[in-house]
Amino acid sequence: MTFIMIVLPIYLVSFVLYFIRVFKGPTISDTVLAIDCVSFETIVFMAMLAIFFKSLLLIPVVILLSVWTYALDVFVAKYLEKKEMGE
Amino acid sequence: MSNLIDIVDWALVIIGEVLVSIGVFCSIVAAIGMLRFPNFFVRLHAATIGSIGGGFVPIIGAALIALGSDFLDYKWLFFGSLVITAFIVMLVSPAGSHALARATHRAKVAPVEPKVTDHLEEDKNKESEKT
Repeated sequence: MTFIMIVLPIYLVSFVLYFIRVFKGPTISDTVLAIDCVSFETIVFMAMLAIFFKSLLLIPVVILLSVWTYALDVFVAKYLEKKEMGE
Repeated sequence: MSNLIDIVDWALVIIGEVLVSIGVFCSIVAAIGMLRFPNFFVRLHAATIGSIGGGFVPIIGAALIALGSDFLDYKWLFFGSLVITAFIVMLVSPAGSHALARATHRAKVAPVEPKVTDHLEEDKNKESEKT
């Protein structure tokens, strides 16, 4: 438990560093790439929180979040390539 | 017998903590690289470290910590769903970043700066000459 207490603030520092890139990113691809990394780290963060609070509520959210990230990538890639969203 | 189970639990927690420490190091390195690298195609390298080293490895470590700790009620459910999540991340993150990189290259959004040869561009020029 003390290990998780040590690890979680370091993840918060890396969240802040990623969010600087999200808000600064010159093109839309940089923003989407940084948001990808942020969501993969959010998955780890939520898994740690689920162990820390001894609660099962966050576990299904974690599985769905990892699939939504792929959906974001594919939608933005399709928009950049064909200049239309999938219908 | 219960002594042996205690030793196995302790070893699982130690291995999980080592994996999570590797993941924390990789995520900090990837975040610094994401800030410092010059353009999009170089930042893909940092994104790969951030998604596999900072995503896949610590999820496996969290699953091992959950399996080894005896204060959780449903520890096998924790373990199974976290392993499934780790494999989804391992399949999904390279596919997504490759699709994004290809679309960025075709749309000419970001410059391809440290370039030796560019086979995608040559193929695209050949296609446009044919039609």
